[in-house]
Amino acid sequence: MADLSLIRNFSIVAHIDHGKSTLADRIMERTGAVSKRDMRDQLLDDMDLEREMGITIKANRATVNYKSHGKSYMFNLIDTPGHVDFHYEVSRSLAACEGVLVLVDATQGVQAQTVANAYLALEADLEILLVINKIDLPAARPEDIALEVEQVLGLEAADAVFTSAKTGEGIDELLEAIVAKIPPPSGSVDKPLRALIYDAKPDPHRGVICHMRVFDGSFARGDKIDLMGVDRSYIITEVGKYTPKSTVIAALGAGEVGYFVAGIKTLADVNIGDTVTRASNPTDKPLPGYVPPQQMVFCDFYPGTGTTTAQLREAMEKLWLTDSSFTYNTVSSDALGIGFRCGFLGLLHMKIIQERLEREGDVSVVQTAPTVEYEVLLQDGSTMRIESPSELPDMSLVDEIREPIVLAQMIIPADCVGTVMRLSLDRRGEQKKTEYLSQTRVMLTYRLPLSEIIYDFYDKLKSCTRGYGTVDYEIEDFRADDMIKMDILVNGVPVDALSVIVHREKAQYRGRKLIARLKKEIGRHMFEIPLQAAVGGKIIARETIRAFRKDVTAKCYGGDVTRKRKLLESQKAGKKRMKVVGNVEIPQGAFMSILAPDD
Amino acid sequence: MWDRLANRSNTADGPKMTEWRRRRGKAVHLRDWKPLVQQVDSAQSMHETNVNHPANDSNCGLYVHLPFCETKCGYCDFYSVPTHGRDTAPLVFAIVRELKRRTDHIEQRILTIFCGGGTPTILPIDQLDAVLTPLGGLAKRHDSIEFTVEANPATVDDEKTRLMVSAGVGRVSMGAQSFFPSELAALERLHDPDDIPVSFATLRRNGVERINLDLIFGIPGQTLETWSQSLRRAVDLSPDHLACYGLTYEPATRLTAQRNLGKITPCGENLEAEMFELTTETLEAAGFKQYEISNYALPGCECAHNVGYWRNQPYVAVGPSAVGCIHGERYKNIADIGGYIRMIDERGDAVVERETLTGEMLVLEMVMMQMRLVEGLSISAFRARIGIDPRALFQRPIERLAELGKIQVSDTHIALTQSGRLVADRVMTQLVGEPATGPISLPVLSG
Repeated sequence: MADLSLIRNFSIVAHIDHGKSTLADRIMERTGAVSKRDMRDQLLDDMDLEREMGITIKANRATVNYKSHGKSYMFNLIDTPGHVDFHYEVSRSLAACEGVLVLVDATQGVQAQTVANAYLALEADLEILLVINKIDLPAARPEDIALEVEQVLGLEAADAVFTSAKTGEGIDELLEAIVAKIPPPSGSVDKPLRALIYDAKPDPHRGVICHMRVFDGSFARGDKIDLMGVDRSYIITEVGKYTPKSTVIAALGAGEVGYFVAGIKTLADVNIGDTVTRASNPTDKPLPGYVPPQQMVFCDFYPGTGTTTAQLREAMEKLWLTDSSFTYNTVSSDALGIGFRCGFLGLLHMKIIQERLEREGDVSVVQTAPTVEYEVLLQDGSTMRIESPSELPDMSLVDEIREPIVLAQMIIPADCVGTVMRLSLDRRGEQKKTEYLSQTRVMLTYRLPLSEIIYDFYDKLKSCTRGYGTVDYEIEDFRADDMIKMDILVNGVPVDALSVIVHREKAQYRGRKLIARLKKEIGRHMFEIPLQAAVGGKIIARETIRAFRKDVTAKCYGGDVTRKRKLLESQKAGKKRMKVVGNVEIPQGAFMSILAPDD
Repeated sequence: MWDRLANRSNTADGPKMTEWRRRRGKAVHLRDWKPLVQQVDSAQSMHETNVNHPANDSNCGLYVHLPFCETKCGYCDFYSVPTHGRDTAPLVFAIVRELKRRTDHIEQRILTIFCGGGTPTILPIDQLDAVLTPLGGLAKRHDSIEFTVEANPATVDDEKTRLMVSAGVGRVSMGAQSFFPSELAALERLHDPDDIPVSFATLRRNGVERINLDLIFGIPGQTLETWSQSLRRAVDLSPDHLACYGLTYEPATRLTAQRNLGKITPCGENLEAEMFELTTETLEAAGFKQYEISNYALPGCECAHNVGYWRNQPYVAVGPSAVGCIHGERYKNIADIGGYIRMIDERGDAVVERETLTGEMLVLEMVMMQMRLVEGLSISAFRARIGIDPRALFQRPIERLAELGKIQVSDTHIALTQSGRLVADRVMTQLVGEPATGPISLPVLSG
């Protein structure tokens, strides 16, 4: 078993684009885990979609060896996702570490995600090593930025390590700082086995691969283990590490990070955060479990033209086996038929799942606008949670509607404070704090309704801060407000999938915007289509889509047939992602109208 | 009728020609395809099987494209080039060569001939003769029922007209477009409104018995009043056929460019719709029957050649840019005069694009073409060629469209209603946009 004093377990957290993946690449290259020749840029991001979107979605990991002063250290690097939607994944990665590298761009300084992730690390009581990266850039201000971090996060500027992951400058110092500053794991090989499953992924041939950190004891192939949370026993068939390729080893001991395979069939059989112990000599102290992932954004998926409900279900089941942090349940819409109500960690997560469904499952999906979860207090004193406006009971039975409130941290240029405050106020925000990070940068802390953020808040913030503003948020609680349900009628027929829950004062404004947008999206038909927004039976906004008076090809003779037929073919194909309600064809875009930015 | 015609082609040349001329005058032409006005008798149903069943597809149309014009009109997207004193003879000879090659051993009977363009009548008389004489020979050999040449006002004189008539041309289609100078100017047409009656009289005087006038509505600056007057002046000339086209802003035309630059203001959808409605009212009151979206004829005087297109009958085409469709394959000739001459010289044909029609393509084409006809999509013809009842294939959209009053379904046809014709493109998209799935599948058609 490895000497505990020679092990360092750590993660890197950073704001998006601050160079986390490049730094991970450099560490692996410098420690010789990956030869220069095999070096593929940003080695850790191996999912196609991640590469395309430039973000890390799944946590990846690597074990590398680092030689210093005649000693050989084992570094377990645990990669974490950087996006606001994935707090949950970040936190479960951090639970496997003793330390964390907080990476900050020397030209951009602290951003909202830096703060959010650093707070997670502080809460987890990890040692924080401040790394100021991109010092090779002409606009770099490493010392100023280090002072800024000290101001915001209370980390000693003097302890910061300055690096350029791109050129390799400062990497040696960083590796030495990891040895010196990050504490080795405590724990004992002699105690009963206690290991934490912090991630799991399916493998088509081997079953589920569990990523875990061993706190006490050790285990090897052939051992019989218990998953304490689900109370099931398995025989270990494979033990290994990522170097960064998966490499089979004989055994894993206290303080180490690796994986095991034990004939577990599906992800549903594993609880992330569960404690693994030995069946013959179990521990009596399971590790503190993780909080299960909290779905915050909900929408419905319906099969588009050419896809059946059964095909969509199959695609969702398959996808869920690779990402169990979204939920789905059958839902029946009066307007759209049978579909699935899905819950996601955030908007980005929703977008990723929808794209992966279409790409990997080869189905066409009609998606409704995302909404948040509401808590409804009924007259009889009971409460219920609803994930869609259509689930809202009759308003005469409702005492109050509570909506999720987030604590949002926005870091913006000082000269934009006025505009951002106005924006936040407009979104029913409640100001908590204003902190000057430096003379030019300010951190605003607000309590904001989640529903006001998921629409277009991020885009709005970007546009009123010349692109510099960043935001990160976490759900705090549910709060009652004067919320009402707004129904949308298309051609006199209420379309449940278009209903929204809005604040009473905003209903008319939202209604008018929504209807105007729907008018554009639905387009003209052969008959006039009235569009109405209604609250409790009262029409608050109305538009009419005029009918086509004339739409006819004047000439069509022998030489025109092919061209006209191709036109007809493409129009026919355009009907794929449409739903027919009454006689009206509603395209996919219409269901997202509520998200449309103001124009 | 079918039997009589089939037999007649076996009779001797002399009487046949006379008979042919006589019939031309009496305008019995369409009945050889199939009567537009349904007659319920046993002969009719037998006739229908003969014409529409691919296995017995023994008739075809012949189209010859002569791409020369005096000038290029602003709205025109056909392949045509201004003559500008160029020598048109090499092209004419190439066209005649292609014509010979495509028709010498043709299995089908050439039922109709249509020589268009361009403006065929601007060719010098000897070249016009070089084209029309072989066409006349074909008409005679195949006992064709209709032989049309396109002309523009002020391009026909007595000599050319006599030549046409002696070659066997029995129908002339003339691009009158409008009787108002300002509207003709907006279209960049060269002729004077007064040329129309003059040319019309020239045709009549020399024995052209069937004359069509093309008119255009929706011209920038046109009003309901001027359109009504153009219609009336056209009717006063006593043509037997009128084609009234809503002006179309085709991509890559000068007209569209001018509109995009804001230099001209289109009439707008409402006015165009009113003009369309006025057309039908005016012409039906004058004894014309609308038989296709833009075409009106005295009873029995429908253009048999064009009806062939709308009933998805085969057609052979000759000339630069011309498109033919025969034996389940569509071909398109090169749209370049020099290239055309070279290709004909080197390999005898000038085809640059080909497509083989699949069952799915044919479904769309049958809907798209036959629904243009007032009679509509023939249920029996569709079943004969596709193997499925269209009422089953399009069941859901048919129900919806019928409910909206845009189509009506009889025992024999699915047809647009009067209000459906105004939005025909929408109706057709809707019809084919949601076909039945499951056990009903489309067979792939062989030539």
